[in-house]
Amino acid sequence: MSDLHDWLVAIADTLIPAADGMPAASEVDIAGTALKAVLTARPDLERHLARAFMLAGDIDKPQEALDSLQQLDAAAYEAILMIVTGGYYMNSRVRELLGYTGQQPQPVRIGEIPEYVSEGLLDRVMARGPRYRDPEVKSVHN
Amino acid sequence: MQKSDVLIIGAGAAGGVAAAALAGAGVSVTCLEQGDWPTPADYPAPRRSYELEARKQWSASPNVRALDVDYPIDDEESDIVPLMYAGVGGSMTLYAADWPRLLPSDFRVRSLDGVADDWPVDYAELLPYYEKTDRAYGISGVAGDPAYPAGEDPPLPPLPIGAGAMKVARAHDRLGWHWWPASQAVLSAPYKGRRPCVQYGACMQGCPEGAKASTDVTHWQGAIANGAQLITHARVSRILVNSRGLAIGAEFVRPDGTWDAAKADVVLLAANAVGTPRILLNSAGPGWPDGLANSSGQLGKRLMVHPFANVMGYFDEPLQSWNGHVGAKITCYEFYETDLDRGFVRGAKWSLAPTGGPLNAALPTRAGSAVFGSGHHQHVREHLGRTVSWGIFGEDLPDERNTVTLDPTLVDSSGIPAPRISYKVGENSRKLLDFHIERAAQSVSEAGAYKVASEALMRYSGWHLLGTARMGADPATSVVDPWCRSHDIPNLYIIDGSVFVTSGGVNPTSTISALALRAAEHLAAAGSAQQVPA
Repeated sequence: MSDLHDWLVAIADTLIPAADGMPAASEVDIAGTALKAVLTARPDLERHLARAFMLAGDIDKPQEALDSLQQLDAAAYEAILMIVTGGYYMNSRVRELLGYTGQQPQPVRIGEIPEYVSEGLLDRVMARGPRYRDPEVKSVHN
Repeated sequence: MQKSDVLIIGAGAAGGVAAAALAGAGVSVTCLEQGDWPTPADYPAPRRSYELEARKQWSASPNVRALDVDYPIDDEESDIVPLMYAGVGGSMTLYAADWPRLLPSDFRVRSLDGVADDWPVDYAELLPYYEKTDRAYGISGVAGDPAYPAGEDPPLPPLPIGAGAMKVARAHDRLGWHWWPASQAVLSAPYKGRRPCVQYGACMQGCPEGAKASTDVTHWQGAIANGAQLITHARVSRILVNSRGLAIGAEFVRPDGTWDAAKADVVLLAANAVGTPRILLNSAGPGWPDGLANSSGQLGKRLMVHPFANVMGYFDEPLQSWNGHVGAKITCYEFYETDLDRGFVRGAKWSLAPTGGPLNAALPTRAGSAVFGSGHHQHVREHLGRTVSWGIFGEDLPDERNTVTLDPTLVDSSGIPAPRISYKVGENSRKLLDFHIERAAQSVSEAGAYKVASEALMRYSGWHLLGTARMGADPATSVVDPWCRSHDIPNLYIIDGSVFVTSGGVNPTSTISALALRAAEHLAAAGSAQQVPA
C-alpha cells in the first residue's frame, strides 16, 4: 500500500472496528482531522508514524502489518496504537456514545453531609480504636 | 551578584517552604532553580488531548519529557524509573497531592522491628511542623482518623470521595477494616486567595485552577514579597567551598551557556534525592574526592523509592471514576503496621484512585490490558468510569546497594555529569507487595467488583525519592545531623527527601515540607551561632 492515509485507515479499522454500537476508526476521519489533532498535541509521534509506514507500509493485510511492526520496531508500533486511540477518543461523537463527561469543571459542593457520615461509617471506624503503633508501648492498638 | 545570607538550590516543596520561613524571619534569601515558573494555562487538564500529552510533555519522567530544563538520568539498571519535575514548585507541579504523614512507628523501625535505623526525631517533634505546613498549603480532610495520634483538625473540609470509594468504604465497614477519607493538598473551598478544586481529574499534569498545593502558588509569592530573590533557569553544577571547609555559594549555568556564581553565608540543598547527591558528587575536590559532605560514605546510598503495586476492581454500574482529585479518595491503613505472621516487616498504605479517561481505558497505565479488534469497545466500556484502583505504597527498607552515582559518560545539555540510578526491589518489599495485593483484591471483591486486575510492580512509579543523604546523630554513618546540617560542612544543609532515614509507607511530601520548615526555623533562630565564612 503506497498511500499513508489509506494504510493508516486500514490499520485503524483493524484496531478499532465498528462494533457494539461504536463507530469504526475510519468513521471519525482517523487519518485526517483526527491525525492532525493528535500530531498537534504530540508532534513527536510524526517521526514514529513515518517510520512505521516505511517499515510496514508495503504489507497489504493490516493485521500482518501490525504484527510485523511489533516485531521490527516496538516504539513505532506503540506510536501507531497511540495515534489511533488518541485520535479516536478525542472525537466528540465517540465521547458522547461512551457517556464520557470528564475534564469538565464541576465545582465541589461542600456543606452536604457525605453518605459515609449519615450512614455512620466513620463512627464505626473510630469505635474500632487507634490503628497506629505507639513506639513507647511496642504493641498495635486495635 | 550580591551575597545573600542563605542560598537555596531548588524551588520545589522543600526550597519553597524554607524560603518563605527564612525570608519571613528577615533573612536574605537567593534561590537558584533549574526550571522556570510554571504557566497554568499550559496545563493540559481542560484539553481533549490531555491524556496524550500526559504521556510525553507532561510525563513525570524527565527522560520521557526531555525538556531543555531537564537533566537526563541513566535508569537502565533500576527496577523503578525516577520521576520529578524541574520548575518553581518542583515535583509538586505533577504530584498527586495525597497528603499523609509518616506514622509514629515509622520513626522507630529499628527499635520496634529490628530493621534499618531509628530517626533522630520522632512524630511528636514533627507534629507542630506538620500542622503549620498543613495550614500553609490548605489541606482538605476529616479529623479523627484513628490511624494517627490526635492533633489539629485539617484546615478545610474533605473533598468528595465519589461513588466508587463509597462502595469500597461500605465494603471495609463490613470487613471491619480501616478506611478514611484521604487528606489531600487540594482545596475543597476557597482559601487564602486560591480557588477550590473543579474536579478535572488531571492533578498529575498540573492544576490549572491552582487548587492543588504547590509552592509556586502557596509559598513563593510570600517569600518574594519578603525580599527573597528567585533566579530561574539557573542550573547548579557544584557547591563552592573555601579553604576553611565552609560553603561559600554555588556555581551555575544559564541556558545561553554563561556561567555565574551565587555567594551566601549558608547553603541549603533542596534538589531532591537524585539531584542533591548529584550536585554533591559533582562537587568533589582534592579535600573530598568522594563528593562533598561524604566523609561517612553514605552520600548517594540507601535510595528508597516506594515500590508501587496497584489493584483494580471492575464494577457493573457506572461510577464516573474519571472524576475528581487524583491522589486518593479514601485510604486504608489496616495492614500498615508489622505483623510477623505475614512473613515480612512493616506495611503499606493504600490510596483509592480514579482511573482516568478513555485513552487510559484503551491503553491502561496501571493494572489492566489493551484489547484491540472486535473486543475493543466492550473492553473500554468495562474500564471507563466503572473501575477503581487501589494504589499500594509499601515501605522500602534502606539498602546501601540502591544508589545514585554519577554516570561515567552521560551529561546534561550543559555538560554536567548526569546521575545514574541503581535500584532493585528487595525481598521484604516483594513479599509485602504480594500480601497487600491479595488483601486489596479482597477489598474490591467485597465491594462488588466482578473482575480484579493487578500490577505487581509499576516501573514508572518513582515519585518518592528518598534517603540518599540520611539524617543521623553519628557522623560516621550519616550525612546530616538531626537539624539537616552536614556533619562535614557546618554551613551546608540538605532539606529535601534525601535526609529520610527510612521511607515509611506513605507519600512523603508532607514530611519533606515539615522537615524543611523545622530546619529553616532552626537556622533562622541560630543567629551568630551558625558558623559562616568570613
